[in-house]
Amino acid sequence: MISQNSETRSHKAQMVLDRFEKKLNRQMVGSLVSCVHCGLCTDSCHYVLANPGDPTYAPAYKADKIRKLFKRHFDWTGKVFPKWVKAGTVMTDEELEELKDTVFGKCTNCRRCTLNCPMGVDFATFNRMARGLLVSVGVMPEGVATVSKDQWEIGNQMGVLPEDYLDTLEWMSEEVSEELGDPAAVIPVDKMDADIVYTINPREVKYDPRSIADALKVFHAAKANWTMPSEGWDMTNFGLFSGDDDLGGAVARRVYEKTIELRGKCLVMSECGHGYRSTRCEGPNWAKFDIPFEMESSVDTMLRYIKEGRIKVDKSKNPDLVTFHDSCNNARSCGLTEEPRELLQLVCENFQEMVPNRAENFCCTGGGGAMSMTEYTPRRLKSAVIKADQMKATGAKIVVTTCHNCVDGLNDLIRHYKLDMKVTQLVNLVANALVWE
Amino acid sequence: MSLHTVQIIHYVALGVMTLVYVLRLRWFFRFPAAKERQPPSGTGSVKPTASIFYSWFNVANPLGMESFRKHWFLYLQFVVFHLGVVAAITMSFVIADFAGLMNHRWVVLTFQILIWGAFAVGILRIIRRVGSKYLRAISSPDDYFSLVLLTVWFGLAASAAPYGRPDLQAAGNTLLIAYYVVQTFFLLYVPFSKISHYLYYPFTRYYLGKSLGRRGVYPMEGGSA
Repeated sequence: MISQNSETRSHKAQMVLDRFEKKLNRQMVGSLVSCVHCGLCTDSCHYVLANPGDPTYAPAYKADKIRKLFKRHFDWTGKVFPKWVKAGTVMTDEELEELKDTVFGKCTNCRRCTLNCPMGVDFATFNRMARGLLVSVGVMPEGVATVSKDQWEIGNQMGVLPEDYLDTLEWMSEEVSEELGDPAAVIPVDKMDADIVYTINPREVKYDPRSIADALKVFHAAKANWTMPSEGWDMTNFGLFSGDDDLGGAVARRVYEKTIELRGKCLVMSECGHGYRSTRCEGPNWAKFDIPFEMESSVDTMLRYIKEGRIKVDKSKNPDLVTFHDSCNNARSCGLTEEPRELLQLVCENFQEMVPNRAENFCCTGGGGAMSMTEYTPRRLKSAVIKADQMKATGAKIVVTTCHNCVDGLNDLIRHYKLDMKVTQLVNLVANALVWE
Repeated sequence: MSLHTVQIIHYVALGVMTLVYVLRLRWFFRFPAAKERQPPSGTGSVKPTASIFYSWFNVANPLGMESFRKHWFLYLQFVVFHLGVVAAITMSFVIADFAGLMNHRWVVLTFQILIWGAFAVGILRIIRRVGSKYLRAISSPDDYFSLVLLTVWFGLAASAAPYGRPDLQAAGNTLLIAYYVVQTFFLLYVPFSKISHYLYYPFTRYYLGKSLGRRGVYPMEGGSA
């Protein structure tokens, strides 16, 4: 318990400091004590590059906003000589608002600075932790509050009602079975003992049902034993963005428990960077859940189907020059960099790599929940110039990504910077390249 | 104060530093290590040892990070600076316990080249820290003081090197005494300053390597090709 100045500190600030201690683990403390202020991380950040001369966007500067609290309350030197090491505390709600502006509004948690730090300081991880502390006292952008509430209460982050979800699946089933002239080409819902339990991003239901239809085509062509769950179908997880481990755990558990209930063998996540990371990587930790089934991205599934000869594709059906945007969560937090490229080469005739790429790629600027924080939109779009220039340099008219969040982020910057490009996903390209026999 | 007395005090300071380091590590290990439940993933090696070793030694690869490739001169400075630290520390023990080695001109010359190099980098680093808006914004008094302290120490070490020979030591050279006095202060100050980063480096990078290895991110391949 932090008692220092507690009589004059606001209740929220006191709660933040009290909860800080509970969040600390060895990995986090290592990152908090190791920074030597060398500044090598500075221009790894797209916010810095898009705002030259403004040091408040520098990763080390932003990190110090959190680090100063650690130093003041948990580290020896900071406790005894706070000014000497720039240790500090929070006293007022206004200071918490300032911290909110930094951790939510000036960082997309893309982790690019982490991979460029000689000391291995994982700023993205403790920035997320700081978000969680602020969320726990109700200090957060309105969009974060709304989306979190939807995911807690309705079970998915876009507030899609169960009947709307099931209607959409039915609608897509009708469309595809009519298109293929095959009444068996439908989405099986809640089928027991399926090899694959397919989970999606609610954005697909709301704005992009075509990707559900395309997935149906791929599974149908592969004669897969698959299903989509009627509940626990949202594999996205706003807990990753809000830093709320309780929400993260609850959402992930919902998906895991439904998969177990259906006795599914493999949980497959559609193309979504943060959904994949949350469900595949972080979810088991947040939910304290040991996973008894396999989990993979639909990118892995589609690639396997082609390699095993279960589906046939004709790359000449996708003749246009395409480039590929690596989602930060996939590339820098899950190592999913080669599989999408392998798949792209199989279903597209012309592919031009973006530079830099893979784990060194720049964020689409819509990551870290930024799309839901409309108060920071001008700032986000300004920083998107880095990504826009990167995309323009490829000469491609189509940018492929394996993340729904990136689809929105990229579409936004394409509109803003008037790029003659469109965004698509691998499932769309694979479905388009399918050879029906 | 005689050189011999300073050297004894220097060893005492070394003992104090070691003790404080032990306490620091005890404090660090009081924090729990997070349990990892996610199944291994990714295309990279998921062998924990491979990713941890990659994480530890990536700093030795000038092409290992974009930040190194973009700022190759800063990387070069980093190498020279740290070689200088090793040389200046080693020299203090050589002069105190193996002074005969200082009779060899090449030994003295090697120490001097390494340490003067580090001194020059120290000056460049001071200029950068004061001159860069970005660095000024993140710098604390400790950052400035540590850098100045090390640079002064390098200057004294390099200047004192020729007087480390046993026959010249007896004369109680002022530069030698000053070098040991500053090093003594340095040893006492280090555990409380950012200079102690090397104490945490193995652990910070161990956990990062373990985590990113399990997620298939480390060892990293490609990126800018």
